[in-house]
Amino acid sequence: MTAVEDLKPDYDEIARCNRCGFCQAACPVFRATGSEAGVARGRIALLRALVEGRLAWEPGLEGPLFDCLLCGACTAHCFPAVPTAELLVKARSLYLARVGRKAAHRLLFERLLPYPRRLQRAARAAALGKRSGVSRLAAALGLLRAFGRDFERAEGIVPAIPRRAFREEHPAGEYAGAGSGGTIAYFVGCGVDLLQPEVGCATLALLRKAGRRVRVLENNCCGLPAWSAGDLATARKLAAANLARLEDSAAERVVTDCSSCASFLRSYPRLFPPPDPRHEAARRLAAKTWDLAPFLFAGEVAPAEDLRGRRITFHDPCHAVRGLGVRREPRELLARLRGAVFVELPEADACCGGAGAYALSHYDLAMRVLARKMENVKRTGADLLVTTCPACRIQLAYGVRRAGLKVEVRHLAQLMGGPPR
Amino acid sequence: MRRADREIPRALLDELRGLVGREFVAASAAVSELYAYDGSLARGAPGAVVFPADGREVAAVVRAAARAGVPFVPRGFGTNLSGGTVLPAGGLVVCLSRLNRILAVSAANRTAVVQPGVPNLELQNALAPLGFFYAPDPASQKVATLGGNVGENSGGPRCVKYGVTVHHVLGLEIVTADGERRRLGGEAPDPPGCDLRGLLIGSEGTLAVVTEITVRILPLPEAVKTWLAVYEEVEAAARTVADIVAAGIVPAALEMMDAPVMRAVEESSPAGFPHDAAAVLILEIEGLAAGLGRQAERIRGICRKNRVREIREARTPEERARLWQGRRGAFGAVARLAPNYLVNDCTVPRSRLPEALRRVAEIARAHGIPCGNVFHAGDGNLHPLLLFDSRDPGELERVHRAGQEILEACVALGGTISGEHGIGLEKREAMRLLFTEEELALQRGLKTAFDPRGLLNPGKLFPPPATASGPARPADALSAAEEELARRVRRAFAAGERLRIAGAGSTAGGKPPAAGGEVLSTRALTAIVELDPANQFFTAGAGLSLAEAQEALAPFHQWLPLRPPPLPGRRTLGGLAATAAAGPERAFYGSPRELLLGLGFVDGRGVLHRAGGRVVKNVAGYDLTRLLSGSAGRLALITRLTFRTATRPERCAALALGGEPEALGSLAHRVLASPLEAVIAAAATDAAGGFRLWLGFEGFSETVAHQLAAAARLAREAGFAGTAAADYAVLEGPFPRLYAEIAARPFLLRLGVPPERAAAAARLLAARFPGARLWVDFASGRITAGLDHLEETAWQELGRAIPALGGHLLLERALFPGFPAGGRVAPPAGEDPLARRVRAVFDPAGVFAGGEAAEAA
Repeated sequence: MTAVEDLKPDYDEIARCNRCGFCQAACPVFRATGSEAGVARGRIALLRALVEGRLAWEPGLEGPLFDCLLCGACTAHCFPAVPTAELLVKARSLYLARVGRKAAHRLLFERLLPYPRRLQRAARAAALGKRSGVSRLAAALGLLRAFGRDFERAEGIVPAIPRRAFREEHPAGEYAGAGSGGTIAYFVGCGVDLLQPEVGCATLALLRKAGRRVRVLENNCCGLPAWSAGDLATARKLAAANLARLEDSAAERVVTDCSSCASFLRSYPRLFPPPDPRHEAARRLAAKTWDLAPFLFAGEVAPAEDLRGRRITFHDPCHAVRGLGVRREPRELLARLRGAVFVELPEADACCGGAGAYALSHYDLAMRVLARKMENVKRTGADLLVTTCPACRIQLAYGVRRAGLKVEVRHLAQLMGGPPR
Repeated sequence: MRRADREIPRALLDELRGLVGREFVAASAAVSELYAYDGSLARGAPGAVVFPADGREVAAVVRAAARAGVPFVPRGFGTNLSGGTVLPAGGLVVCLSRLNRILAVSAANRTAVVQPGVPNLELQNALAPLGFFYAPDPASQKVATLGGNVGENSGGPRCVKYGVTVHHVLGLEIVTADGERRRLGGEAPDPPGCDLRGLLIGSEGTLAVVTEITVRILPLPEAVKTWLAVYEEVEAAARTVADIVAAGIVPAALEMMDAPVMRAVEESSPAGFPHDAAAVLILEIEGLAAGLGRQAERIRGICRKNRVREIREARTPEERARLWQGRRGAFGAVARLAPNYLVNDCTVPRSRLPEALRRVAEIARAHGIPCGNVFHAGDGNLHPLLLFDSRDPGELERVHRAGQEILEACVALGGTISGEHGIGLEKREAMRLLFTEEELALQRGLKTAFDPRGLLNPGKLFPPPATASGPARPADALSAAEEELARRVRRAFAAGERLRIAGAGSTAGGKPPAAGGEVLSTRALTAIVELDPANQFFTAGAGLSLAEAQEALAPFHQWLPLRPPPLPGRRTLGGLAATAAAGPERAFYGSPRELLLGLGFVDGRGVLHRAGGRVVKNVAGYDLTRLLSGSAGRLALITRLTFRTATRPERCAALALGGEPEALGSLAHRVLASPLEAVIAAAATDAAGGFRLWLGFEGFSETVAHQLAAAARLAREAGFAGTAAADYAVLEGPFPRLYAEIAARPFLLRLGVPPERAAAAARLLAARFPGARLWVDFASGRITAGLDHLEETAWQELGRAIPALGGHLLLERALFPGFPAGGRVAPPAGEDPLARRVRAVFDPAGVFAGGEAAEAA
């Protein structure tokens, strides 16, 4: 069967696009490029041309199919709510099958992401490379060539890689808690584990205040990066491994401080549609998965540090605001912190351009998307920019450095001190 | 389309890459798919797309395409709803999305300068914090670019109060089809000569590429009230619409939704619309808080008179937002009912709405196509939504047929085939419903004048000249007087004679014509052809005087809101239009150019044409009505005019205060930037040579009283001591004596400067010509002066000084021999091949050829 027919089941969805173009107002990539190749309407038009046989699968499609941030803003602005991100992920997978994938892609998605220990070792190699300043990070960490020629320029986005990962300090297992919230499982995303262990520490402390017991999970990557790249097989493999590990966990709630992980864990049931025996387990996991912000929202919080005189603003990660529908909770949590002033960020729910590893593979585009975000940050006059996704945090911190702003970029967990004494 | 058809020569692609950079030129099979469509159902097959960065690059790209003989189309965000931005026969897409900057906002001039790739909403968002807005607000404003708004002459819900794009664009920077950059108009109002800017607005990217736009901006209103009115019958809702407007209330929005659309909205995201009503109106009024109460009561009264079932007022901003969300989400809600929908777009006079809606329903039923209506009722602008699946060719065909029949029905009801979406590719054949073959030929001629090689957005707007696809509208019967004049023109055309058009001769000051051939008088054209108070329009012969027109409208409590100097009542309607005459109320009510809905005219071969129509929202074909406004009789002989009328104000009163022009100007600008609705903010000289500022307010008595008090407060704050308020007559305005004085002077000067320079220009005139009588309009920047003497040296001096202020100068009348018929202008118009070609289209033999004023754009 041809790949064209593989999009056939989606033809109804594709045909619902009326070409009204309203997605152009929402799409961060379109706003940066002004090109039809970089917006939902255009991408959908290409999928339709593929289905209707006017276009063949060819390398020229790579840009339009892979330039998308998958931020989902187009669907939120779309009258018939065409699920462009999902259609594109499918198309990416067909593209990889028809046109081919790069060896480096395979290295990352098939050999490293499924294995947390290997990933840690690779990161450590990278950290050494980075600190020595002699060898290029890209050389030390061959896998990152997966991201393409932009990577060398993009290297500066990640300023320093910690010597020790979060899980090296806090091995998987059970930790005693002081709260009354039963058993809470902590799903540690790769970003927190490898790049931002300080966020993991803050989260773990918060969870230990909330629950009687906290289990730091031995999870692997949630699978979102592979899914985004169109590598559905790997995404499923990663998800299945997580399901197997979590199946026997007695935790009533699974909490993660990465909104992207949370959103993807919630979508596991769709990776294993009903005849699949794993569907039920996926549903159970989805039902008890919590993003940190709504989890904390239920309880009382006090600032973790003195925030007097600080001006705080909040950036919505795409996967929080559109993936999970989380909008109110982080804002109210921040507004509740005594001493600080909360100001709303204009276009707070527009993608920052981080989009997981997007910035590493599409440096120029990501920077243009980021520039708009920074303009908005500047307008708030805030000196503290908060978010709930490690990838956003990396991107935002890079933006602040590039724009020369005096703004600290923190994860929500780092500001929350748990219930006041 | 075969591959060969869409290929662009490699050499051109290389040249373009050199001009704008490699990454801003794209050509591939995928690119051809990506730029094959816009928001319509039309499809094209472009070969490449280029993204120039600025006007300079646009010009370079156009020159390269022209040299290579490759057709091209300017495109913004490609949301056009009539196929205007697709290239069916291949070519180059010139995408203007990188021209996306707001270049300047001037609170003093109340203008903004923008690039064409800025979406409408982005401008609104930039203006709001400064206390201003840009009036046209197409429903698609999030993604409709201002360049596209200019191309389509876009409207929106607010247009019922404020008018459409052509009423708000002051100037354009364009690139012509051969790549020349030039400016048309600007911050100074009404440049002399024919209004090429007016012609370009709504020309759907077929005459030039717009690279910069100067728009008028307005202060945000002080207060707003919104209601939902629920009806058991569509007719009753439609009658309410007509009654409200006829009562002299100008709502900010008057939108209607029928039952199928309401159901769809309630099923997708409930906005609180009733599920058992036939129709609802969303009514909104805005303005001064003081005036809204009584208007609200009157609106309620009118609704009740028309058997409204329920009136719900939005009590909070959230409730208002919810109503509008329902209205704006209506297309979306309907989109869930079927894979695709076709938005039709046609306009009828308001009073014909019930009939039009009935016809739409019948036609849809006959073709078995589900249909809903959500539209701008206040403008009579219908948007029937026809639901279908574009993958079924049979259904597509039926939808197209139903669409055509709806257009025919609207034209039969006195309407037009497009209110705001344009003709593009999809409505070309329907143009025959409106225009005769001669009229179409003239418009095609204009296209050729601008684009001799036919490379700029070719194949749009007009059906092919052949008669194969059916006869065009037959020519109207001429009145005897029109026929007589047409015959005289035909004779002159055949004999190579020249004619000079004259109305009442009120600007000529009674002097004999010095040049320009035999006088052709319009004074016999005094018929009142149609007077429709319910729909507020009025058609009459060009020779009717303004006083006669006002008299005809008086029984209906309506008027033409024009008080042009020097002798308002004596001037003929034709003369007003031809000279773009206007008094200081022009910024508020509009000049003849803005109030005109349609024209009849005789071209230089003696053929009678009709342009425009009877409805405000009308974007079918080129806007000849605007082009002929201010053309000073150089293009054609205007024989009849259709004007929009207004309800007479209950009270007119002005505050007058004396002072230096600069101080008066600064107070005037403060008032103009405030939410007060000053009809007049002009200073006039008195007999002693001193200046007095008149702040005039017109409308409901309590609003006028409130505004007089508020204006007096502002004056006191600005340090003015004595202020006196006095009522004035609606037809005369506040300074009839001054007008009479100006009329008595042998020299009549008309100046336009950017409003912030008006005081400086007034000072300059007063210093150079002591004893001159003049008025200076701070709202628009227009100055009219009557002088006793004007020596050549003084003229030369002014001719340097006024252009140096960014303005222009027209000597409308001068009593010395050899004075050209249409006046003298500065800066001198010079030789303009474009204007010459335009004139040749109307008047190939030069029957109406005259003086030097003609060519200035």
